[in-house]
Amino acid sequence: MVCATCEPKGLCGGKGLVTFKEGAWANNPLAIQVLGICSALAVTSRLENSLVMGAALIFVCVGSNLIVSILRKHTPHRIRMVAEVAIIATFVILFDLILKAFYWDMSKQLGPYVGLIITNCIVMGRAEAFALQNPPILSIVDGIANGVGYAVILAIIGFFRELLGAGEILGHAVPGFTSWYTPNQLMILAPGAFFALGLVIGFFNAIKGPDPEEKK
Amino acid sequence: MKGSAYTIGFAAVLGSACALLLTAAASITKPYKEANQQAEEARNILQALNVPRQDGTSWHGASSAEVVKAREDNVKEKKKGDLTTYVYEVNGETKATAIRFAGPGLWGPVKGFLALEPDMKTIRGMTIYEQEETPGLGGEIVAPWFRDQFVGKSVVDAAGVPGIIISMSGEPAANKVDGISGATMTCDKVQAMLNEAIKSIVEEK
Amino acid sequence: MSETSVWVIFIAAIFTNNILLTNFLGMCSFIACSGQIKTSLGLGTAVIFVMIMTTMINFAVYHGVLVPLGLVHLQFIVFIAVIAAFVQLVEMFVERFSPKLYFALGIFLPLITVNCAILGASLFMIIRQYSFLQSIGFGLGAGIGWAVAIVLMAGLRQKMRYSHVPQCFQGVAIAMIVTGVLAMAFMGFAGMVAIQ
Repeated sequence: MVCATCEPKGLCGGKGLVTFKEGAWANNPLAIQVLGICSALAVTSRLENSLVMGAALIFVCVGSNLIVSILRKHTPHRIRMVAEVAIIATFVILFDLILKAFYWDMSKQLGPYVGLIITNCIVMGRAEAFALQNPPILSIVDGIANGVGYAVILAIIGFFRELLGAGEILGHAVPGFTSWYTPNQLMILAPGAFFALGLVIGFFNAIKGPDPEEKK
Repeated sequence: MKGSAYTIGFAAVLGSACALLLTAAASITKPYKEANQQAEEARNILQALNVPRQDGTSWHGASSAEVVKAREDNVKEKKKGDLTTYVYEVNGETKATAIRFAGPGLWGPVKGFLALEPDMKTIRGMTIYEQEETPGLGGEIVAPWFRDQFVGKSVVDAAGVPGIIISMSGEPAANKVDGISGATMTCDKVQAMLNEAIKSIVEEK
Repeated sequence: MSETSVWVIFIAAIFTNNILLTNFLGMCSFIACSGQIKTSLGLGTAVIFVMIMTTMINFAVYHGVLVPLGLVHLQFIVFIAVIAAFVQLVEMFVERFSPKLYFALGIFLPLITVNCAILGASLFMIIRQYSFLQSIGFGLGAGIGWAVAIVLMAGLRQKMRYSHVPQCFQGVAIAMIVTGVLAMAFMGFAGMVAIQ
């Protein structure tokens, strides 16, 4: 299957669309692979923070997948994990520096959680499981897919937590909403995060249906 | 076959490349980061001093260039011994004086500005620009409702002894504001650092 | 430098500001390994040990090397390198001197390297400007807090095997919701120490 962007040759050897669908939906990093939970819980108290974190993950995942893939035939097997960590960390710090320079308020709000993207199992997982065995362009697609799959779920959780917890969306009060609904601050605090994540994963599974293998 | 020498070489090259890239990026972004920090400080000083903005809105929405210029135009820095004060002057007349206050909060440093009217007794404004307190509890110290209660309060009590009180209990007083329920420790610490700052102003007069 | 007493930091790290239930760090291994109480105990012990040692080492490295040389922006990489190296050393040490312990604990050690709680503890220690003694109290408390949470979770999940959970919620989803209730319960500790 060759997607419209690269027709007719297909830069990804025809596997682009499949890889994207797999990474964003069927093998969604948060809901199916259950990775990257820490930041999903920590930053989703507000929609804006969730969006920035999602962007950060897409940036880091694409960047690290690309470099790891380019270097895959030259990386000595023994130090491959260390090399992956170094590459991932470099991209994370780059993002952090950009954030501090151009989006100061957000940098203060995200705090240590930007640095923790380095240990975010999604990025490491994709580098190890995909980028090491696949060509660069396809790795970029995989990075985008996983990043987007993660970012979308993050945005959904963030949307509901901010709406139900503070009666606001992106910092703006929703007109008329708070007249009949009293914001439940618990949604903004820790327990609310766990509930929101659990419910979103549950619904994701309900929509997706059980794995074809499990149906047997 | 990739031997040890290659492994070490690869590691060294990769490590140096990353370190170099990051150091370069750090120095390129440093001026922007510092400009942001300066703008943040300027915003808070202007807010605390209650310097009016052209269109009447709060300084928090203003651009970095605007606040830095506004600070330069309106606020003079004066040093008396160890104490640095930020004075808001219009045509030579002192409208307000502000000082920094800082101290350890519960989870991290708390920093802000306290501004007083020319009588050096009434509070003109208070802003906090750095804190790590628990969101929803101690973190409320940056909420507008907490901040605004300081405006118009006195820094001396009925007997003239300098010191403000942040507490949920006790009689209302000219030098007392409400605390935050569930955040007694944070309020105590903020009270302590504000009083330390107030003490240093009084001592320098 | 924070003036909070070491004891308060220690107790708070376990109960009122539990690194897992309040700061959400260390979730991945938490989910993967909280199925059995025995496994959780093993992992928890390993985490306590690694956490307290790496906070101490990272403290020394940060204040002794990074700050004087103006290399603070490399702290993420350096901390992770220290953690990875330390875990590798421990693994080699344990394998050499106690094969039995290695067999019991060995599989957990690589998992700990990417445990965000370990890195997070070091980062928090720097942000909150703890002194050396406070860092030790924090490292120990955070480790114990994480271990307590994971063992509690394992106990709850073992009990849940006898409940009728809807198909789409089985596994992670229900685990998250239960953790939420656990987090709510821990919120009840607020006020236990004069912490807020």
